Amino acid sequence: MNPFTYKRATDQSGAIREVAGNANAKFLAGGTNLIDLMKMNVQQPAELVDINRLALKRIEKTPTGLRIGALASNSEVATNALVRENFPVLSEALLAGASPQLRNMATVGGNLLQRTRCYYFMDTAFPCNKRVPGSGCPAIPGFNRIHAILGASDKCIAVHPSDMAVALAALDAVVNVEGAAGARQIPIIDFHRLPGDTPHVDTNLRADELIVSVDLPSSAFARRSRYLKIRDRAQYAFALVSVAAALDVQQGRIGAARLALGGVAHKPWRALEAEKILTGAQANAQTFKAAAEAVVKDAVPQKHNAFKIELARRAVVRLLSDVAGVMTGGAA
Amino acid sequence: MSDQNIGKPVPRKEGRAKVTGAARYVDDLAVPGMLYGVTVRSHVARGRISEIIFGDRIPWDEFTVVTARDIPGANAVALILNDQPYLADRIVNHAEEPILLLAHEDKYLLEEARRAVRVEIEPLPAVFSIEDSLAKKEIVWGEDNVFKSFLVEKGNVDEVWDSPGLVVVEGVYATGAQEQLYIETNGVIATASREEGVVVQGSMQCPYYVHKALVKLFDLPEDKVRVIQTETGGGFGGKEEYPSMIAGHAALLAWKSGRPVKMIYDRAEDMTATTKRHPSRTRHRTAVTRAGQLLGMEIDFVIDGGAYATLSAVVLSRGTIHAAGPYNCPNVRIRSRAVATNAPPHGAFRGFGAPQSIFALERHLDKVAAAVGLAPEELRRRNFISRGETTATGQVIREEVDMGALLDRAFELSDYHAKRERFSRENVGNKIKRGIGFASFMHGAGFTGSGEKYLQSVVGCEATAEGRVRVLAASTEIGQGTNTIFAQIAADALGLDYERVEVVRPDTASVPNSGPTVASRTCMIVGKLVESAALQLKQTLAGAGLLQEPYTAEEFERACREYIEKNGALKSFSQYRQPEGVEWDDEHYRGDAYGAYAWAVYVAEVSVDTLTYEARVEDFVAVQEVGRVIHPVLAAGQIEGGVAQGVGWTLYESVVWAGGRMANGQMTNYIIPTSADIPPIRVHFFENPYAGGPAGAKGIGELPMDGPAPAILNAVEHATGVRFDSVPLTPEAIMEALEGEAVKA
Ligand SMILES: Cc1cc2nc3c(=O)[nH]c(=O)nc-3n(C[C@H](O)[C@H](O)[C@H](O)COP(=O)(O)OP(=O)(O)OC[C@H]3O[C@@H](n4cnc5c(N)ncnc54)[C@H](O)[C@@H]3O)c2cc1C
Repeated sequence: MNPFTYKRATDQSGAIREVAGNANAKFLAGGTNLIDLMKMNVQQPAELVDINRLALKRIEKTPTGLRIGALASNSEVATNALVRENFPVLSEALLAGASPQLRNMATVGGNLLQRTRCYYFMDTAFPCNKRVPGSGCPAIPGFNRIHAILGASDKCIAVHPSDMAVALAALDAVVNVEGAAGARQIPIIDFHRLPGDTPHVDTNLRADELIVSVDLPSSAFARRSRYLKIRDRAQYAFALVSVAAALDVQQGRIGAARLALGGVAHKPWRALEAEKILTGAQANAQTFKAAAEAVVKDAVPQKHNAFKIELARRAVVRLLSDVAGVMTGGAA
Repeated sequence: MSDQNIGKPVPRKEGRAKVTGAARYVDDLAVPGMLYGVTVRSHVARGRISEIIFGDRIPWDEFTVVTARDIPGANAVALILNDQPYLADRIVNHAEEPILLLAHEDKYLLEEARRAVRVEIEPLPAVFSIEDSLAKKEIVWGEDNVFKSFLVEKGNVDEVWDSPGLVVVEGVYATGAQEQLYIETNGVIATASREEGVVVQGSMQCPYYVHKALVKLFDLPEDKVRVIQTETGGGFGGKEEYPSMIAGHAALLAWKSGRPVKMIYDRAEDMTATTKRHPSRTRHRTAVTRAGQLLGMEIDFVIDGGAYATLSAVVLSRGTIHAAGPYNCPNVRIRSRAVATNAPPHGAFRGFGAPQSIFALERHLDKVAAAVGLAPEELRRRNFISRGETTATGQVIREEVDMGALLDRAFELSDYHAKRERFSRENVGNKIKRGIGFASFMHGAGFTGSGEKYLQSVVGCEATAEGRVRVLAASTEIGQGTNTIFAQIAADALGLDYERVEVVRPDTASVPNSGPTVASRTCMIVGKLVESAALQLKQTLAGAGLLQEPYTAEEFERACREYIEKNGALKSFSQYRQPEGVEWDDEHYRGDAYGAYAWAVYVAEVSVDTLTYEARVEDFVAVQEVGRVIHPVLAAGQIEGGVAQGVGWTLYESVVWAGGRMANGQMTNYIIPTSADIPPIRVHFFENPYAGGPAGAKGIGELPMDGPAPAILNAVEHATGVRFDSVPLTPEAIMEALEGEAVKA
């Protein structure tokens, strides 16, 4: 780990000024990702600005839905009664991630910005275009079981590891941020990026921008939402493939649908085409299969992860059936 | 001898210190003036070092830098063939091979310096698989890439194949590498100078191995080297040979700098640079009568030793001897080889070759059973070895063995027959397929062959004037319970309370060499020496007319005090003697391979989700005969831990290799099972006291690693109807097998 200076921010604008003034400064929230990466020398910030004292922990009702402070812990969000009732997929996604100890430390802002778990990115013995732009991608010719099947580029095939962000993608969340140049809102679908030629840039957040909160609009489909995560062991592992689904079904017909996948791309993967197929269709196996096909239509396997395409298909069908089943009173 | 402590769950000797946080591990210790040390390693698997470049912006004159040229003695880790250098000089043979050492008092600057050293290496062609090594695609070691080979012959297997009415069954089986993943990573603190000699303290299993290695490395007399074990957070074999390396490195830095040096690996370095379980490939060809009688077994067993010989020869030996299992087959040929590749050397890991060869055999026997239309258990029952019969090496089994009874008990506890029938029936319409399978096996305790005879282990017992007893041995407590069972054994031998016995911290300056803490030998072999050393103490007191049975603790105390007042000290030593009638022929690999075996039948129940193709172990029954159980909780803990490690090896733990280097050397990427993946494990012991062990005990440490993999894969076959013959078994392998090529492309 590098030596670094540590500052504890007491107010929001001071924190932003501090980070804006040092190109090599980073906000420190729960530290569960950043400190690990620093220990492994993957990241070497010269300055950490601790934001934990800022008043950004609240989870509060708004006229259109719910606002979750960027420093609310993953545990607080997962167990919050309003979240559980109105946005169950978010609670399920958070509880499917990490461990209780980690969730107690991890925050909403940090979770959104957590970095990929690509073996090569995390190990400085290898080159990596994400870590050292232009150095190459050993995952493409190498072992790439956990890598992307959608939206990858010839520079990077890493996937975004967050479960929470997949749920947010299915909930039309909006990320409220504030930087030296002022405040703005970023829809979740535009928050993370595909790798393209600049895989070292994970998101569209600017370096000096602080995530302040996340807004969740209420909806009928959000109340009927669930998360399915497939991983290498029962607990405490990142998703090989995960699915967040939200459906509004009336008399067997799907009104509105949201579908997002995790573990498959460089960003939480919103399956817009599949949503089109679902919207207005009968909630039955045939529809769900068609939606699953649409999800993987453009999937491109790497050498070792073709199984993920099939896994994604199956996970989509199973989760959609479960969500629909719950609402139509059938078997869960 | 009393029976006050043995068989009872007395509190662990080091338990309180561990749970209260008082236990001090090496990284908790600091020595005044201490520097930190790090290792610069090779980034290529094989090549010629052309240049070492020290980058700018580092104040190099503040650093201690050690290269191969600085080594005062021999640049080789003393073990068996002494072929592994401490520091590569000109040629590197595996990724992560140590090339250069750095020390500085500032950890952070040191890390920067490590990254500022650039080693230019011209790559040479490398070999990464058993098949390529055997095919001599490139010669990377010796003349033929073969570290060691063995041939075991019983009867004449060549004559059986043509016999009429025989069924011949063939199969190929493979196992992958596995990381030991002890909780505490490797670490040591060293001080060293020509005048004072070398002192190393650290996390380790075998202080005298480290001692021997340092004597050669520094070319010092034995009494100028001292090795002390600190509290050790697990080993599983991973701290058998490797500590000699890190101890040597820290000591070289201390020697050159004149300051104490602490060296602690972080998890990534520990995972990528240190040893793992040997990958293996086994071919079986078996002749069996239609009635299920095994007539001939031809076994070809190969393990990947990595870049240097290290312990591969002895891992191979144990794997070879266990390859034919607990069966009585008249004609057997086992040919085995340990071959070189350009992976970091593979090393000791619980089971030591036996899990690999037993996996192959116990998978294969299910195939053999199917080929002759017998239930798997029926085939085994018809061939189980029993007293008076001989193993593959011609060892006559002299103890009572009843594998059939173990099988009955395991089947009863697991409800095997009913489940086997019910799952077969219900699986047809179910998305979740269930299966149940088993493996039967044995594991030899102690060093193989004449190993114990050569080791000549010694244990001491000392009594104080307060009537307290101290056990002196180099056998280490690494979480498995050495100190507890030694105290139980000594206490019962002397008829004293458990609290009166203390086990001294292993320190080569003050304890005799009781041998390494490996090979399931600590309880049976060393424990027996503890027992006899303790009995000798008593005899000494009796001989001096100071003690008469029966006696109270106060009488014992008085006797000790009087003896010590008169004679100065009260100590006794006991040395290993090969039991009568144990014979081993090293040249032909024939005879009594082990003093005793533990015997076992394990049953695994699994479910396979046909949506995600995840296999889970749902239930596990482990039945074994281990002689006398010294400590029921620790013994069951050994079995449960071994089964969990076996479940990991079978279904979860996959070492990802990239150019001969572990690419997933992080705990979030290298998946080991958590408690949520481990089924209930029901442990049952049969106790059949063995005359050669303390109070009748045999060894159990490695045994539980042998059974889970084949039992689980046998159960997966029952669940899915598909044969899987390699581990780890990943969900995608199951998916590919069940769905065919469609999924692949
Ligand atoms: C062993 C382990 C297992 C895990 N398993 C899972 C899993 O299964 N699923 C899953 O989704 N996650 C998992 N995680 C990841 C975990 O969710 C993240 O580490 C956590 O959410 C990060 O939050 P944090 O507050 O600790 O972030 P930090 O580590 O503090 O910060 C992460 C990044 O975000 C930046 N940052 C933090 N807050 C803000 C803010 N308000 N504004 C701007 N920038 C900010 C920091 O500068 C840093 O770059 C696991 C982590 C570990 C260690």
